[in-house]
Amino acid sequence: MKGPDVTWYLGVAAFMFATGALGVLLRRSPLIVLLSLELMLNGANLALIAFSRLHGGGAGQIFALSVMAVAASEVVVGLGLIVAMARRNLTLDVDKLTWLRG
Amino acid sequence: MLASAIHTPHVDWFAMSPALTLLGASAVCLMAAVLLPVATRRWFTAWVTAGAFVGAFVAAALLYDRSPHPQEVIAGAIVRDRFGALAALIICGAGLASVGVSWRMRLRAHTAEYYALLAAAAGGMVFLVTATNLITVFLALEWFSICLYILCAIDVDLEGSLEAGLKYLVVGGFGSAFLLFGSALVYGSTGKVGFADIARATAAQGLKHDSLLVAGLAMILAGLGFKASAAPFHMWTPDVYEGAPTPVTGFMAAATKTTALVLTLRLLTTAFPQEKQLWTIALAVFAVASLAIGNLAALVQRNVKRMLAYSSISHAGFMLIPIAAGNALGGRALLYYLIPYSAMSVAAFAVVAARERELGQAVTFENIAGLGWERPFLGAALWACMLGFAGLPLTGGFVGKFYAFSAAYDRGWVWLVIVGAVATAVSLYYYFGLVRALYMRAPSAVSLAPSGGQPPRELALQTAVLGCLAVVVASFFAVEPLIKLARMAASSLVF
Repeated sequence: MKGPDVTWYLGVAAFMFATGALGVLLRRSPLIVLLSLELMLNGANLALIAFSRLHGGGAGQIFALSVMAVAASEVVVGLGLIVAMARRNLTLDVDKLTWLRG
Repeated sequence: MLASAIHTPHVDWFAMSPALTLLGASAVCLMAAVLLPVATRRWFTAWVTAGAFVGAFVAAALLYDRSPHPQEVIAGAIVRDRFGALAALIICGAGLASVGVSWRMRLRAHTAEYYALLAAAAGGMVFLVTATNLITVFLALEWFSICLYILCAIDVDLEGSLEAGLKYLVVGGFGSAFLLFGSALVYGSTGKVGFADIARATAAQGLKHDSLLVAGLAMILAGLGFKASAAPFHMWTPDVYEGAPTPVTGFMAAATKTTALVLTLRLLTTAFPQEKQLWTIALAVFAVASLAIGNLAALVQRNVKRMLAYSSISHAGFMLIPIAAGNALGGRALLYYLIPYSAMSVAAFAVVAARERELGQAVTFENIAGLGWERPFLGAALWACMLGFAGLPLTGGFVGKFYAFSAAYDRGWVWLVIVGAVATAVSLYYYFGLVRALYMRAPSAVSLAPSGGQPPRELALQTAVLGCLAVVVASFFAVEPLIKLARMAASSLVF
Protein backbone atom coordinates (compact mmCIF):
# COMPACT_ATOMS: atom_id res chain seq x y z
CA MET A 1 0.00 0.00 0.00
CA LYS A 2 1.23 3.45 -0.83
CA GLY A 3 1.20 5.90 2.04
CA PRO A 4 1.07 9.68 1.82
CA ASP A 5 3.83 11.56 0.01
CA VAL A 6 6.95 12.47 2.00
CA THR A 7 6.01 16.14 1.61
CA TRP A 8 3.11 15.63 4.01
CA TYR A 9 5.41 14.23 6.65
CA LEU A 10 7.77 17.11 6.11
CA GLY A 11 4.84 19.52 6.42
CA VAL A 12 3.77 18.07 9.77
CA ALA A 13 7.41 18.04 10.97
CA ALA A 14 7.88 21.68 9.99
CA PHE A 15 4.60 22.59 11.72
CA MET A 16 5.73 20.87 14.93
CA PHE A 17 9.10 22.58 14.73
CA ALA A 18 7.54 25.99 14.16
CA THR A 19 5.03 25.49 16.99
CA GLY A 20 7.89 24.58 19.31
CA ALA A 21 9.99 27.55 18.20
CA LEU A 22 7.07 29.94 18.80
CA GLY A 23 6.50 28.34 22.19
CA VAL A 24 10.13 28.92 23.20
CA LEU A 25 9.93 32.53 22.08
CA LEU A 26 6.50 33.44 23.47
CA ARG A 27 5.65 31.35 26.53
CA ARG A 28 6.66 32.50 30.00
CA SER A 29 6.78 29.40 32.16
CA PRO A 30 10.15 27.65 31.93
CA LEU A 31 8.32 24.31 32.04
CA ILE A 32 6.36 25.13 28.90
CA VAL A 33 9.56 26.46 27.30
CA LEU A 34 11.26 23.10 27.93
CA LEU A 35 8.21 21.34 26.54
CA SER A 36 8.39 23.48 23.40
CA LEU A 37 12.08 22.61 23.00
CA GLU A 38 11.09 18.94 23.04
CA LEU A 39 8.48 19.66 20.38
CA MET A 40 11.16 21.21 18.15
CA LEU A 41 13.41 18.18 18.54
CA ASN A 42 10.54 15.79 17.86
CA GLY A 43 9.60 17.70 14.74
CA ALA A 44 13.13 17.13 13.51
CA ASN A 45 12.84 13.45 14.51
CA LEU A 46 9.71 13.03 12.41
CA ALA A 47 11.46 14.55 9.40
CA LEU A 48 14.46 12.25 9.95
CA ILE A 49 12.32 9.13 10.09
CA ALA A 50 10.25 10.12 7.05
CA PHE A 51 13.42 10.76 5.03
CA SER A 52 14.90 7.53 6.31
CA ARG A 53 11.93 5.61 4.82
CA LEU A 54 12.26 7.60 1.61
CA HIS A 55 15.94 6.89 1.07
CA GLY A 56 16.09 3.46 2.67
CA GLY A 57 19.02 2.67 4.95
CA GLY A 58 18.90 3.21 8.68
CA ALA A 59 20.95 6.37 9.19
CA GLY A 60 17.93 8.61 9.77
CA GLN A 61 16.34 6.21 12.25
CA ILE A 62 19.58 5.80 14.20
CA PHE A 63 19.87 9.59 14.24
CA ALA A 64 16.31 9.91 15.58
CA LEU A 65 16.95 7.32 18.30
CA SER A 66 20.04 9.14 19.54
CA VAL A 67 18.17 12.45 19.44
CA MET A 68 15.58 10.97 21.83
CA ALA A 69 18.32 10.01 24.29
CA VAL A 70 19.87 13.48 24.04
CA ALA A 71 16.50 15.21 24.45
CA ALA A 72 15.84 13.20 27.60
CA SER A 73 19.18 14.17 29.15
CA GLU A 74 18.67 17.81 28.23
CA VAL A 75 15.27 17.88 29.87
CA VAL A 76 16.67 16.22 33.01
CA VAL A 77 19.12 19.09 33.41
CA GLY A 78 16.41 21.65 32.63
CA LEU A 79 13.99 20.24 35.18
CA GLY A 80 16.80 20.02 37.73
CA LEU A 81 17.53 23.70 37.26
CA ILE A 82 13.85 24.60 37.58
CA VAL A 83 13.54 22.60 40.81
CA ALA A 84 16.68 24.28 42.20
CA MET A 85 15.23 27.68 41.35
CA ALA A 86 11.87 26.82 42.90
CA ARG A 87 13.66 25.76 46.10
CA ARG A 88 15.37 29.13 46.26
CA ASN A 89 12.01 30.81 45.76
CA LEU A 90 13.17 32.41 42.55
CA THR A 91 10.22 33.41 40.48
CA LEU A 92 9.33 30.93 37.76
CA ASP A 93 8.50 33.40 35.00
CA VAL A 94 11.10 33.92 32.30
CA ASP A 95 9.97 37.52 31.77
CA LYS A 96 10.79 38.34 35.38
CA LEU A 97 14.19 36.60 35.40
CA THR A 98 15.96 39.86 34.83
CA TRP A 99 18.69 39.88 37.41
CA LEU A 100 20.84 39.54 34.31
CA ARG A 101 19.66 42.12 31.84
CA GLY A 102 20.34 41.32 28.20
CA MET B 1 31.52 -22.09 21.22
CA LEU B 2 31.93 -19.74 24.14
CA ALA B 3 35.65 -19.47 23.61
CA SER B 4 35.38 -18.37 19.98
CA ALA B 5 36.14 -14.71 19.47
CA ILE B 6 33.41 -12.36 18.30
CA HIS B 7 34.22 -10.58 15.08
CA THR B 8 34.46 -6.88 15.87
CA PRO B 9 35.25 -4.03 13.48
CA HIS B 10 38.65 -2.44 13.69
CA VAL B 11 38.64 0.66 15.86
CA ASP B 12 41.55 3.09 15.92
CA TRP B 13 41.57 3.73 19.67
CA PHE B 14 44.59 6.01 19.40
CA ALA B 15 42.55 8.45 17.30
CA MET B 16 40.08 8.80 20.15
CA SER B 17 42.63 8.77 22.97
CA PRO B 18 42.36 12.51 23.87
CA ALA B 19 38.57 12.30 24.32
CA LEU B 20 38.83 8.94 26.11
CA THR B 21 41.48 10.23 28.53
CA LEU B 22 39.23 13.13 29.52
CA LEU B 23 36.17 10.91 29.85
CA GLY B 24 38.16 8.52 32.03
CA ALA B 25 39.20 11.37 34.30
CA SER B 26 35.57 12.46 34.48
CA ALA B 27 34.55 8.97 35.64
CA VAL B 28 37.33 8.88 38.25
CA CYS B 29 36.23 12.28 39.59
CA LEU B 30 32.62 11.13 39.85
CA MET B 31 33.72 8.06 41.81
CA ALA B 32 35.84 10.27 44.04
CA ALA B 33 32.75 12.38 44.75
CA VAL B 34 31.21 9.34 46.39
CA LEU B 35 34.17 7.48 47.84
CA LEU B 36 36.65 10.11 49.06
CA PRO B 37 36.26 12.16 52.24
CA VAL B 38 35.50 15.84 51.67
CA ALA B 39 38.92 16.98 52.85
CA THR B 40 40.85 15.25 50.07
CA ARG B 41 38.27 15.58 47.29
CA ARG B 42 39.31 18.96 45.95
CA TRP B 43 42.99 18.10 45.97
CA PHE B 44 42.47 14.71 44.34
CA THR B 45 39.96 15.67 41.64
CA ALA B 46 41.81 18.84 40.61
CA TRP B 47 45.04 16.87 40.15
CA VAL B 48 43.30 14.06 38.28
CA THR B 49 41.65 16.57 35.92
CA ALA B 50 44.87 18.51 35.40
CA GLY B 51 46.68 15.23 34.72
CA ALA B 52 44.00 14.21 32.21
CA PHE B 53 44.35 17.53 30.38
CA VAL B 54 48.12 17.04 30.20
CA GLY B 55 47.60 13.46 29.04
CA ALA B 56 45.07 14.48 26.39
CA PHE B 57 47.40 17.28 25.28
CA VAL B 58 50.27 14.83 24.84
CA ALA B 59 47.98 12.35 23.05
CA ALA B 60 46.78 15.11 20.70
CA ALA B 61 50.38 16.15 20.03
CA LEU B 62 51.29 12.54 19.16
CA LEU B 63 48.20 12.32 16.95
CA TYR B 64 49.26 15.48 15.18
CA ASP B 65 52.70 14.05 14.62
CA ARG B 66 51.51 10.68 13.35
CA SER B 67 48.54 11.59 11.15
CA PRO B 68 49.97 13.32 8.09
CA HIS B 69 47.12 11.92 5.98
CA PRO B 70 43.47 12.09 7.10
CA GLN B 71 42.03 8.66 7.92
CA GLU B 72 38.40 7.73 8.55
CA VAL B 73 37.69 6.15 11.94
CA ILE B 74 34.60 4.08 12.92
CA ALA B 75 32.83 3.99 9.55
CA GLY B 76 33.38 7.68 8.89
CA ALA B 77 31.92 8.93 12.17
CA ILE B 78 35.12 10.80 13.00
CA VAL B 79 38.36 11.47 11.19
CA ARG B 80 41.93 11.30 12.40
CA ASP B 81 43.79 14.29 11.01
CA ARG B 82 46.04 17.18 11.98
CA PHE B 83 43.22 19.72 11.81
CA GLY B 84 41.33 18.03 14.63
CA ALA B 85 44.52 17.33 16.56
CA LEU B 86 45.58 20.99 16.59
CA ALA B 87 42.10 22.08 17.74
CA ALA B 88 42.29 19.42 20.48
CA LEU B 89 45.64 20.86 21.58
CA ILE B 90 44.09 24.33 21.97
CA ILE B 91 41.08 22.98 23.89
CA CYS B 92 43.27 20.92 26.26
CA GLY B 93 45.53 23.91 26.89
CA ALA B 94 42.54 26.09 27.75
CA GLY B 95 41.18 23.33 29.98
CA LEU B 96 44.46 22.91 31.86
CA ALA B 97 44.64 26.64 32.56
CA SER B 98 41.00 26.61 33.67
CA VAL B 99 41.76 23.93 36.27
CA GLY B 100 44.31 26.31 37.80
CA VAL B 101 41.84 29.20 37.74
CA SER B 102 39.16 27.04 39.39
CA TRP B 103 41.35 25.89 42.28
CA ARG B 104 40.12 28.41 44.82
CA MET B 105 36.61 28.66 43.45
CA ARG B 106 33.70 28.59 45.91
CA LEU B 107 32.08 25.22 45.30
CA ARG B 108 30.79 24.00 48.67
CA ALA B 109 30.27 20.24 48.31
CA HIS B 110 30.41 20.12 44.51
CA THR B 111 34.15 20.19 43.79
CA ALA B 112 34.40 16.66 42.43
CA GLU B 113 31.33 17.11 40.23
CA TYR B 114 32.71 20.41 38.95
CA TYR B 115 35.95 18.86 37.75
CA ALA B 116 34.12 15.81 36.37
CA LEU B 117 31.91 18.09 34.26
CA LEU B 118 34.86 20.21 33.15
CA ALA B 119 36.75 17.13 31.92
CA ALA B 120 33.62 15.69 30.27
CA ALA B 121 32.86 18.97 28.51
CA ALA B 122 36.41 19.18 27.16
CA GLY B 123 36.15 15.53 26.07
CA GLY B 124 33.03 16.35 24.05
CA MET B 125 34.74 19.31 22.42
CA VAL B 126 37.81 17.27 21.51
CA PHE B 127 35.50 14.68 19.97
CA LEU B 128 33.42 17.26 18.09
CA VAL B 129 36.39 18.81 16.30
CA THR B 130 37.08 15.42 14.69
CA ALA B 131 33.45 14.74 13.67
CA THR B 132 32.75 14.08 9.99
CA ASN B 133 29.16 12.96 10.23
CA LEU B 134 25.97 14.89 11.06
CA ILE B 135 24.98 12.37 13.76
CA THR B 136 28.35 12.67 15.50
CA VAL B 137 28.12 16.46 15.24
CA PHE B 138 24.77 16.62 17.02
CA LEU B 139 25.72 14.07 19.68
CA ALA B 140 29.09 15.65 20.51
CA LEU B 141 27.57 19.14 20.47
CA GLU B 142 24.97 18.14 23.05
CA TRP B 143 27.58 16.14 24.98
CA PHE B 144 29.61 19.23 25.81
CA SER B 145 26.66 21.65 25.86
CA ILE B 146 24.80 19.76 28.59
CA CYS B 147 27.98 19.71 30.70
CA LEU B 148 28.33 23.46 30.21
CA TYR B 149 24.69 24.14 31.21
CA ILE B 150 25.36 22.49 34.56
CA LEU B 151 28.75 24.19 34.97
CA CYS B 152 27.09 27.59 34.44
CA ALA B 153 24.55 26.86 37.16
CA ILE B 154 26.89 25.11 39.60
CA ASP B 155 27.52 28.01 41.98
CA VAL B 156 24.02 28.10 43.44
CA ASP B 157 24.99 30.74 46.02
CA LEU B 158 26.01 33.18 43.32
CA GLU B 159 23.14 35.42 42.36
CA GLY B 160 22.37 34.77 38.71
CA SER B 161 24.22 31.46 38.34
CA LEU B 162 21.06 29.33 38.16
CA GLU B 163 19.45 31.89 35.92
CA ALA B 164 22.47 31.83 33.61
CA GLY B 165 22.31 28.02 33.48
CA LEU B 166 18.63 28.00 32.54
CA LYS B 167 19.04 30.76 29.97
CA TYR B 168 21.97 28.96 28.37
CA LEU B 169 19.99 25.72 28.32
CA VAL B 170 16.97 27.27 26.63
CA VAL B 171 18.95 29.25 24.05
CA GLY B 172 21.49 26.47 23.53
CA GLY B 173 18.70 23.92 23.07
CA PHE B 174 17.00 26.29 20.63
CA GLY B 175 20.20 26.54 18.58
CA SER B 176 20.77 22.77 18.69
CA ALA B 177 17.20 22.18 17.48
CA PHE B 178 17.87 24.42 14.48
CA LEU B 179 21.07 22.52 13.74
CA LEU B 180 19.17 19.24 14.04
CA PHE B 181 16.32 20.25 11.75
CA GLY B 182 18.86 21.56 9.25
CA SER B 183 20.69 18.23 9.41
CA ALA B 184 17.39 16.42 8.80
CA LEU B 185 16.73 18.56 5.70
CA VAL B 186 20.23 17.96 4.36
CA TYR B 187 19.77 14.24 4.96
CA GLY B 188 16.41 14.41 3.21
CA SER B 189 17.90 16.12 0.22
CA THR B 190 21.01 13.99 -0.22
CA GLY B 191 20.20 10.78 1.65
CA LYS B 192 23.60 10.94 3.36
CA VAL B 193 24.88 11.96 6.80
CA GLY B 194 28.65 11.79 6.23
CA PHE B 195 30.24 15.12 5.25
CA ALA B 196 32.13 13.79 2.23
CA ASP B 197 29.11 11.70 1.12
CA ILE B 198 26.91 14.81 1.22
CA ALA B 199 29.35 16.68 -1.00
CA ARG B 200 29.58 13.72 -3.42
CA ALA B 201 25.81 13.27 -3.56
CA THR B 202 25.30 17.00 -4.14
CA ALA B 203 27.75 16.95 -7.03
CA ALA B 204 26.50 13.66 -8.53
CA GLN B 205 22.75 14.41 -8.39
CA GLY B 206 23.06 18.07 -9.31
CA LEU B 207 21.45 19.22 -6.05
CA LYS B 208 23.31 22.51 -5.97
CA HIS B 209 20.14 24.61 -5.95
CA ASP B 210 17.90 22.08 -4.22
CA SER B 211 15.64 24.04 -1.89
CA LEU B 212 15.78 21.40 0.87
CA LEU B 213 19.58 21.42 0.84
CA VAL B 214 19.81 25.22 0.89
CA ALA B 215 17.23 25.50 3.70
CA GLY B 216 19.11 22.82 5.66
CA LEU B 217 22.39 24.63 5.19
CA ALA B 218 20.82 27.89 6.40
CA MET B 219 19.47 26.23 9.55
CA ILE B 220 22.80 24.52 10.25
CA LEU B 221 24.53 27.89 9.92
CA ALA B 222 22.08 29.42 12.38
CA GLY B 223 22.66 26.59 14.86
CA LEU B 224 26.44 26.99 14.61
CA GLY B 225 26.02 30.76 14.99
CA PHE B 226 24.31 30.21 18.36
CA LYS B 227 27.19 28.03 19.57
CA ALA B 228 29.91 30.40 18.34
CA SER B 229 27.91 33.37 19.78
CA ALA B 230 28.09 35.23 16.47
CA ALA B 231 25.58 38.02 15.86
CA PRO B 232 22.62 37.87 15.19
CA PHE B 233 22.55 34.77 17.42
CA HIS B 234 24.53 36.33 20.27
CA MET B 235 21.86 37.66 22.63
CA TRP B 236 22.45 34.98 25.28
CA THR B 237 26.18 35.64 25.52
CA PRO B 238 26.43 38.66 27.86
CA ASP B 239 23.85 37.28 30.31
CA VAL B 240 25.35 33.81 30.48
CA TYR B 241 28.95 35.05 30.61
CA GLU B 242 28.05 37.43 33.44
CA GLY B 243 25.98 34.97 35.45
CA ALA B 244 28.22 31.90 35.16
CA PRO B 245 31.07 31.39 37.64
CA THR B 246 34.05 33.28 36.18
CA PRO B 247 36.40 30.29 35.66
CA VAL B 248 33.62 28.59 33.67
CA THR B 249 33.13 31.76 31.62
CA GLY B 250 36.83 31.77 30.74
CA PHE B 251 36.72 28.14 29.67
CA MET B 252 33.57 28.72 27.61
CA ALA B 253 34.97 31.81 25.91
CA ALA B 254 38.12 29.96 24.87
CA ALA B 255 37.12 26.34 24.26
CA THR B 256 33.51 26.60 23.09
CA LYS B 257 34.42 29.25 20.55
CA THR B 258 37.39 27.21 19.32
CA THR B 259 35.19 24.14 18.93
CA ALA B 260 32.32 25.90 17.19
CA LEU B 261 34.52 27.80 14.72
CA VAL B 262 36.72 24.81 13.89
CA LEU B 263 33.61 22.67 13.34
CA THR B 264 32.07 25.38 11.14
CA LEU B 265 35.15 25.45 8.93
CA ARG B 266 35.34 21.67 8.63
CA LEU B 267 31.60 21.17 8.03
CA LEU B 268 31.30 23.88 5.40
CA THR B 269 34.43 22.98 3.45
CA THR B 270 33.91 19.20 3.44
CA ALA B 271 30.12 18.89 3.18
CA PHE B 272 29.09 21.99 1.22
CA PRO B 273 31.85 22.86 -1.26
CA GLN B 274 29.16 23.22 -3.96
CA GLU B 275 27.37 25.90 -1.94
CA LYS B 276 30.47 27.96 -1.30
CA GLN B 277 28.99 31.08 -2.90
CA LEU B 278 26.14 30.97 -0.39
CA TRP B 279 27.93 30.26 2.85
CA THR B 280 30.84 32.62 2.27
CA ILE B 281 28.37 35.50 1.85
CA ALA B 282 26.31 34.35 4.87
CA LEU B 283 29.39 34.12 7.09
CA ALA B 284 30.63 37.51 5.90
CA VAL B 285 27.26 38.97 6.97
CA PHE B 286 27.54 37.23 10.37
CA ALA B 287 31.08 38.58 10.73
CA VAL B 288 30.08 42.17 9.99
CA ALA B 289 27.06 41.95 12.31
CA SER B 290 29.20 40.47 15.12
CA LEU B 291 31.86 43.14 14.70
CA ALA B 292 29.29 45.93 14.72
CA ILE B 293 27.15 44.70 17.62
CA GLY B 294 30.01 43.36 19.74
CA ASN B 295 32.11 46.50 19.52
CA LEU B 296 29.33 49.06 19.86
CA ALA B 297 27.73 47.32 22.83
CA ALA B 298 31.11 46.82 24.54
CA LEU B 299 31.65 50.58 24.50
CA VAL B 300 28.92 51.25 27.05
CA GLN B 301 29.52 48.36 29.47
CA ARG B 302 30.56 49.09 33.06
CA ASN B 303 30.71 45.46 34.21
CA VAL B 304 34.04 43.93 33.16
CA LYS B 305 32.60 40.46 32.51
CA ARG B 306 29.91 41.89 30.24
CA MET B 307 32.50 43.97 28.41
CA LEU B 308 34.59 40.83 27.84
CA ALA B 309 31.45 38.98 26.69
CA TYR B 310 30.78 41.61 24.02
CA SER B 311 34.46 41.55 23.14
CA SER B 312 34.14 37.78 22.62
CA ILE B 313 31.20 38.41 20.24
CA SER B 314 33.35 40.83 18.27
CA HIS B 315 36.14 38.25 18.19
CA ALA B 316 33.70 35.71 16.80
CA GLY B 317 33.33 38.27 14.01
CA PHE B 318 37.08 38.58 13.54
CA MET B 319 37.47 34.81 13.36
CA LEU B 320 34.54 34.36 10.98
CA ILE B 321 36.37 36.59 8.48
CA PRO B 322 38.98 33.90 7.58
CA ILE B 323 36.25 31.21 7.43
CA ALA B 324 34.17 33.43 5.13
CA ALA B 325 37.25 33.91 2.94
CA GLY B 326 36.99 30.17 2.26
CA ASN B 327 40.60 29.67 1.18
CA ALA B 328 43.59 27.78 2.56
CA LEU B 329 45.06 30.99 3.93
CA GLY B 330 41.82 31.48 5.87
CA GLY B 331 42.00 28.01 7.44
CA ARG B 332 45.56 28.71 8.51
CA ALA B 333 44.63 32.15 9.86
CA LEU B 334 41.73 30.76 11.91
CA LEU B 335 43.83 28.01 13.52
CA TYR B 336 46.63 30.44 14.29
CA TYR B 337 44.30 33.12 15.70
CA LEU B 338 42.62 30.62 18.03
CA ILE B 339 45.91 29.95 19.87
CA PRO B 340 46.55 33.48 21.29
CA TYR B 341 42.78 34.18 21.48
CA SER B 342 42.14 31.19 23.78
CA ALA B 343 45.09 32.08 26.01
CA MET B 344 43.97 35.73 26.27
CA SER B 345 40.39 34.75 27.11
CA VAL B 346 41.34 32.36 29.90
CA ALA B 347 43.87 34.82 31.35
CA ALA B 348 41.54 37.83 31.23
CA PHE B 349 38.71 36.00 32.97
CA ALA B 350 41.21 34.56 35.47
CA VAL B 351 42.24 38.07 36.55
CA VAL B 352 38.57 39.04 36.83
CA ALA B 353 37.99 35.91 38.95
CA ALA B 354 40.88 36.83 41.26
CA ARG B 355 39.54 40.37 41.72
CA GLU B 356 36.03 39.02 42.28
CA ARG B 357 37.22 36.70 45.06
CA GLU B 358 39.11 39.58 46.64
CA LEU B 359 36.14 41.95 46.64
CA GLY B 360 33.31 39.48 47.06
CA GLN B 361 31.28 41.34 44.44
CA ALA B 362 30.99 41.73 40.67
CA VAL B 363 33.96 43.47 39.06
CA THR B 364 33.20 46.80 37.40
CA PHE B 365 35.35 49.47 35.78
CA GLU B 366 35.07 51.38 39.08
CA ASN B 367 36.18 48.72 41.54
CA ILE B 368 38.93 47.31 39.33
CA ALA B 369 40.61 50.74 39.60
CA GLY B 370 44.12 50.53 40.94
CA LEU B 371 44.47 46.76 40.43
CA GLY B 372 47.62 47.48 38.42
CA TRP B 373 49.28 48.97 41.51
CA GLU B 374 47.78 46.68 44.14
CA ARG B 375 48.46 43.40 42.31
CA PRO B 376 51.23 44.22 39.83
CA PHE B 377 51.39 40.79 38.22
CA LEU B 378 47.64 40.40 37.64
CA GLY B 379 47.39 44.00 36.47
CA ALA B 380 50.20 43.52 33.96
CA ALA B 381 48.58 40.29 32.78
CA LEU B 382 45.23 41.96 32.16
CA TRP B 383 47.01 44.84 30.43
CA ALA B 384 48.79 42.39 28.11
CA CYS B 385 45.51 40.60 27.35
CA MET B 386 43.80 43.88 26.45
CA LEU B 387 46.68 44.74 24.08
CA GLY B 388 46.30 41.27 22.58
CA PHE B 389 42.51 41.56 22.13
CA ALA B 390 43.02 44.96 20.52
CA GLY B 391 45.55 43.37 18.16
CA LEU B 392 48.63 45.38 19.01
CA PRO B 393 52.16 44.10 18.28
CA LEU B 394 54.16 42.07 20.82
CA THR B 395 51.11 39.83 21.23
CA GLY B 396 49.81 37.05 19.00
CA GLY B 397 46.56 39.01 18.52
CA PHE B 398 48.39 41.31 16.09
CA VAL B 399 49.55 38.48 13.84
CA GLY B 400 46.16 36.76 14.10
CA LYS B 401 44.27 39.82 12.90
CA PHE B 402 46.85 40.45 10.20
CA TYR B 403 46.44 36.91 8.84
CA ALA B 404 42.64 37.03 9.10
CA PHE B 405 42.53 40.27 7.12
CA SER B 406 44.99 39.02 4.52
CA ALA B 407 42.77 35.96 3.95
CA ALA B 408 39.85 38.26 3.18
CA TYR B 409 42.09 40.43 0.97
CA ASP B 410 43.22 37.30 -0.87
CA ARG B 411 39.59 36.53 -1.66
CA GLY B 412 39.22 40.06 -3.01
CA TRP B 413 36.98 41.33 -0.20
CA VAL B 414 38.64 44.63 0.56
CA TRP B 415 35.42 45.93 2.11
CA LEU B 416 35.58 43.19 4.76
CA VAL B 417 39.15 44.21 5.59
CA ILE B 418 38.01 47.82 5.99
CA VAL B 419 35.14 46.80 8.28
CA GLY B 420 37.59 44.76 10.36
CA ALA B 421 40.04 47.65 10.59
CA VAL B 422 37.32 50.09 11.67
CA ALA B 423 36.09 47.58 14.27
CA THR B 424 39.65 47.26 15.61
CA ALA B 425 39.92 51.04 15.91
CA VAL B 426 36.62 51.22 17.83
CA SER B 427 37.69 48.36 20.11
CA LEU B 428 40.80 50.31 21.17
CA TYR B 429 38.53 52.64 23.13
CA TYR B 430 37.14 50.07 25.54
CA TYR B 431 40.24 47.92 25.80
CA PHE B 432 42.30 50.97 26.71
CA GLY B 433 39.46 52.14 28.93
CA LEU B 434 40.06 49.07 31.08
CA VAL B 435 43.83 49.62 31.08
CA ARG B 436 43.23 53.23 32.12
CA ALA B 437 41.03 52.01 34.98
CA LEU B 438 43.79 49.59 36.03
CA TYR B 439 46.55 52.18 36.30
CA MET B 440 45.37 55.76 36.01
CA ARG B 441 42.39 56.23 38.25
CA ALA B 442 42.54 56.79 41.95
CA PRO B 443 41.00 53.77 43.61
CA SER B 444 37.46 54.71 44.61
CA ALA B 445 36.16 53.77 48.02
CA VAL B 446 35.97 50.01 47.71
CA SER B 447 34.55 48.03 50.57
CA LEU B 448 36.56 44.85 50.79
CA ALA B 449 34.83 41.69 51.85
CA PRO B 450 35.15 41.29 55.62
CA SER B 451 37.62 38.43 55.43
CA GLY B 452 40.37 40.57 56.93
CA GLY B 453 43.87 41.20 55.71
CA GLN B 454 45.38 40.18 52.43
CA PRO B 455 43.58 37.59 50.37
CA PRO B 456 45.55 34.36 50.09
CA ARG B 457 48.03 34.26 47.25
CA GLU B 458 46.60 32.11 44.53
CA LEU B 459 49.53 30.17 43.24
CA ALA B 460 47.47 27.95 40.92
CA LEU B 461 45.66 30.91 39.35
CA GLN B 462 48.85 32.90 38.92
CA THR B 463 50.62 29.95 37.33
CA ALA B 464 47.73 29.55 34.89
CA VAL B 465 47.82 33.26 34.04
CA LEU B 466 51.59 33.12 33.59
CA GLY B 467 51.26 30.15 31.24
CA CYS B 468 48.59 31.93 29.18
CA LEU B 469 50.72 35.09 29.01
CA ALA B 470 53.66 33.04 27.80
CA VAL B 471 51.47 31.70 24.97
CA VAL B 472 50.18 35.19 24.08
CA VAL B 473 53.68 36.67 23.82
CA ALA B 474 55.36 33.58 22.38
CA SER B 475 52.79 33.39 19.59
CA PHE B 476 54.08 36.77 18.43
CA PHE B 477 57.76 35.89 18.53
CA ALA B 478 57.37 32.27 17.36
CA VAL B 479 55.04 33.04 14.47
CA GLU B 480 57.00 30.96 12.01
CA PRO B 481 56.68 27.53 13.71
CA LEU B 482 53.05 28.15 14.77
CA ILE B 483 52.01 29.17 11.25
CA LYS B 484 53.75 26.04 10.02
CA LEU B 485 51.72 23.95 12.49
CA ALA B 486 48.52 25.69 11.34
CA ARG B 487 49.43 25.26 7.67
CA MET B 488 50.02 21.53 8.04
CA ALA B 489 46.76 21.21 10.01
CA ALA B 490 44.71 23.21 7.50
CA SER B 491 46.10 21.10 4.66
CA SER B 492 43.91 18.22 5.97
CA LEU B 493 40.96 20.10 4.45
CA VAL B 494 40.37 20.63 0.75
CA PHE B 495 39.42 24.20 -0.07
